[in-house]
Amino acid sequence: MKVPFLKPGSQRRRPVAVATFLVVQTLAAVFFVGDALGELLSDADGTHSSFEMLVAVALITGMIFGGMELRRTLERMRTQEAALAVASGALADVIRAQFANWGLTGAEQDVAFLGLKGLDVAEIAEIRGSAQGTVRAQLTKVYAKAGVSNRAQFAALFVEDLLGASLVEPVAKAG
Amino acid sequence: MADPWTSERQAGIAPPDLWDPLVRISHWGIAFIVVMNALFTKGGSPLHLWLGWIGMALLLLRLVWGVLGPVEARFSAFPPSPRAALSHLRGLVSGRAPQYRSHNPAGALMVYAFWVTLAVVIGTGLLRTGGQTPMQAARDAAAVASGDWSVLVTETDGGGESRFGTLPGEVHTVAANLLLILAALHVAGVAVESRAMRRNLVAPMLTGSKRRRG
Repeated sequence: MKVPFLKPGSQRRRPVAVATFLVVQTLAAVFFVGDALGELLSDADGTHSSFEMLVAVALITGMIFGGMELRRTLERMRTQEAALAVASGALADVIRAQFANWGLTGAEQDVAFLGLKGLDVAEIAEIRGSAQGTVRAQLTKVYAKAGVSNRAQFAALFVEDLLGASLVEPVAKAG
Repeated sequence: MADPWTSERQAGIAPPDLWDPLVRISHWGIAFIVVMNALFTKGGSPLHLWLGWIGMALLLLRLVWGVLGPVEARFSAFPPSPRAALSHLRGLVSGRAPQYRSHNPAGALMVYAFWVTLAVVIGTGLLRTGGQTPMQAARDAAAVASGDWSVLVTETDGGGESRFGTLPGEVHTVAANLLLILAALHVAGVAVESRAMRRNLVAPMLTGSKRRRG
């Protein structure tokens, strides 16, 4: 299943940007404080150093807030990913139940699931270490048991679930 | 491939697929700086100072992140425990080492050893330069170049020696070499662990695993 707008890559860009900014902030803070301390030690000029102190405090506070913001972003991302995993896990359960309902054998279930995931016959054969002819035969049997004639129709049965429509119409058990 | 169903749902206890960006940036930044400053830049040169200060900033940031950061970046996720490290190494040999949420116990010890050594290198480096930032060093150098030698007066005995004599310099060198040894050990450890776990440990520190999700 390729769902471009849910790709993790696009979500990961934001924390990287925040983290990069945080690194720059830290560099600024460390260099500024280092410089200010150096000047403070060499010649103590009251007004000058109290202003620098203020800037230093602002920089460090900014750093801490940046860090907290980054952590919040990361945690939000994690929650979303977890929710997505639960959703896809739930769909897998629905699919599994339906496969059992159709009376697919274990091997047929595996092949059918890989087929649903968008792998072609050659890829499935490679993953399962079996001949392409075997896989093709298994897929044909799967479609027959599901009462459809090709992969598109087969996949469409489950898209309905994703769209929130009623569950797949129970097809007469064929085997 | 044993079972196409379970491949999607991984157990909760495993190191992250991808370390958070701050861990990654500080890791590679410090790695780069250690290699550059130990092997390529001249000690005391402006570039050496700049890199050293950037390294100090990255280390400070990582330490703050050890308190503020997400679970697996926090110190509490990888407490230093030599006993746990030993039992982990034994588990590796017998092929029964468990997965950990963060650094494994042996890796955790390495992390702490690295941070302490890094802090020593940075601290002695600061002592050696009198705590000067690269900007100050550059200003002083410019002043000397323009004929104002007064900045040299404040340094009691110039030439890389602070008021602690040559000790900081010597410690700096020894600790820097120790850093290189630790780095080599670290790389070897990652290689061994990756093999034993049949798990790519480098990818999470780069851009995450190439495994297709969802």
